[in-house]
Amino acid sequence: MKIDLAVIGQGAVSPAGVGLDALLHREPVPLPVAALGEPNQPWPVLRVDLKDPAFARWQREARLRRASSMTFFLIEAAEQALAGISPADRAETGLIVAFSAGCLSYSRRFFESIVMQGQKTASPALFPETVFNSPVSHVASVLGLNGAAYALCGDETAWIAALQTASIWMQRERVRQVLVMGAEEFDPIVLDAYRSARWLRRENTDNGFLTSEGAAGILVRRAGPEDTRVIATARNGFIYRTKKEAAAAAKRLLSESDPALPCYPSAQHNWLGSLEKKATENWTVVPLGNQPYLGEAFTASAAWHTLRALTCLNSDLPRLLLPVWGLNHQLGLLELEAQK
Amino acid sequence: MSRSIVVTGIGAVTPLGENFSISWNTLLAGRDAATPLDLFDTTGCRCHHAASATLPPVPGVSAKTIRRLARASHLAIPAAREALASAGLLDAEGRSTLRELPFSVATTAGGMAFGEDFLRRVLTHDRSKSGSHRFSRVSRYLPQQQVLDVQQALGFAGHSAIIANACASGANAIGHAADLITVGAADCVLTGGFEALTELVFVGFDCLQATSTDRCRPFDLNRSGLLLGEAAAFLVLESAEHAQQRGATPLCELTGYGHTTDFFHLTQPQPDGAALVEVMRAATSQARIAPAQIGYINAHGTATAVNDGTEAKAYGAFLGDALGSTRISSTKAAIGHTLGAAGAVEALFAIAALRTGHLPPQLNLQTPIPEMAQALVGAKESSSEMEHVMSVNLGFGGSNAALVFSRSESS
Repeated sequence: MKIDLAVIGQGAVSPAGVGLDALLHREPVPLPVAALGEPNQPWPVLRVDLKDPAFARWQREARLRRASSMTFFLIEAAEQALAGISPADRAETGLIVAFSAGCLSYSRRFFESIVMQGQKTASPALFPETVFNSPVSHVASVLGLNGAAYALCGDETAWIAALQTASIWMQRERVRQVLVMGAEEFDPIVLDAYRSARWLRRENTDNGFLTSEGAAGILVRRAGPEDTRVIATARNGFIYRTKKEAAAAAKRLLSESDPALPCYPSAQHNWLGSLEKKATENWTVVPLGNQPYLGEAFTASAAWHTLRALTCLNSDLPRLLLPVWGLNHQLGLLELEAQK
Repeated sequence: MSRSIVVTGIGAVTPLGENFSISWNTLLAGRDAATPLDLFDTTGCRCHHAASATLPPVPGVSAKTIRRLARASHLAIPAAREALASAGLLDAEGRSTLRELPFSVATTAGGMAFGEDFLRRVLTHDRSKSGSHRFSRVSRYLPQQQVLDVQQALGFAGHSAIIANACASGANAIGHAADLITVGAADCVLTGGFEALTELVFVGFDCLQATSTDRCRPFDLNRSGLLLGEAAAFLVLESAEHAQQRGATPLCELTGYGHTTDFFHLTQPQPDGAALVEVMRAATSQARIAPAQIGYINAHGTATAVNDGTEAKAYGAFLGDALGSTRISSTKAAIGHTLGAAGAVEALFAIAALRTGHLPPQLNLQTPIPEMAQALVGAKESSSEMEHVMSVNLGFGGSNAALVFSRSESS
């Protein structure tokens, strides 16, 4: 699908720090965190430092007094992406956020209280914050984004669906511009899940990923000839259940792409990494240089990769492919251009 | 909408029946589906009943696969199959004749029960070998896994979007499907929503004291809360040209869609209903009709104190003098609040009203709130002259959505 979105603003919160510079250049430090079911076995996890001064102003917002950590990641990244946008323009800005697990920490805490202390102890303050679109509502409300607002969910490819939806909204003239975001938060329960899937990286190995968290967003409008960073095409829907089906889906996905275009490697250390290597063996791979490894944070990772890949565009590299390797539903791909 | 969009197929599994036809006839008969809840223990809750569905068979899917399905998929697959069948898009093997079929779906909890089970086992150190603590089960709690279940069971792939805008999600998913067709990104889309009852969500609404221990009585002065339900409902939307080319008969047209966000409060609508009025105006504006031309509105009508009062004010402001001639009912009294599926299943009821002239009665009504008294549908009411109907939904986070369906010239 041609989406032709010009990127006019960007923001990021990651374990490397707050802002795009950290995303591109700073090496995050993993912290040991134990899984819920195995308190004596810590795993390295990449966490966002919520004590960063950038979050202080959001922590004082009355509307956000009960908000999840993910809401703070989102709103800080959103504000960066909206820098310089007037209140009047914000009022005509839509918001689409892609999630994989959503408000995981509050959901776990809410259900844990039911299991451990009984249903009578369930917290009415916590429950509304477990809903997928609660952070979306908070961000839109605090930042005055009066356009439409959607929460989309799925694996990493929900990021692609969010970009496609943004393009459709602008074609329908519902909004002038759209802030498209991806966000995830960490909770120890995911270590129990990923451990049983053998997805986690063990000490002194390079196999498996580090669990991560954060958010990123891009402010987009319909691309014109003057724009220099454009997401031209978005494709998804290459579904799979098994690894064999994933390999076939990757082959189909790339067979529909221009083999002359360099490919930005995004699977990195998850199990799709070997699949990516094989599927792109005939492609020129974009060198990542010293970009630090930020771990796996699903839709946030997809957004981080998009921001990083956009910075690779220049006169020598005017177009590139960014595959989006969904971890448990489908594969997709974005085509980025330095000029429409 | 600039490109005519028609509905060519519908299907649903609801607490009233295992397909849409049974559900609709039972609804018109005036029965509600509230029963004591036995899917999980509710000992510590105020409320102990809900509208649960009887799971229909899932033909064409192996017994091994069926054992791995989330309850939500058990609801979604038969409903999606029925929608494709009624659109004439299933082959003899029960597979979609369109191998590439965009899918716009809504849910709020996906296969949450698998996530609950995993967490319970981790917290209680349950190492039994039932397999439920393993990743193969917990990974299936994510909503995209139910989407994949439907895609694989019915043999299609392609673009999908999962919208999780709380209780307005179903209407948003349908609106998004229409948008895909309008901009030319698709000619035909399967769309709708699904939701299965889960403990986390049930206890959540219970602890908010939003569920009723009485009958669910939307728009009644003595309403005391909602009835939770579960369902799946799907529609096939197509461009009119695509439907015509393949000889499909439209059931109706989708002519209007509006969506807005109400920033008043995370769980409560703006008291004067202004955001809801705005969304209904957006939908009728797109449909190029006046509010008074709407014959029937399937209201959100949760039967909570705050929602129904606000909604009544909004209908007064939106319809003006037409409040009373435009007939209104909330079918949540019968099937419960089905959250992510609500917008889809209620759209189907509105479409059936448009096509048959029979109106879903406002069940469990004793003392209507005064401003709605003349508008609420009575038993066995019908109207053969409707050209347009509307379905309205509100959700946590301030999500509002409205859909307008209109009689199709070729239906």
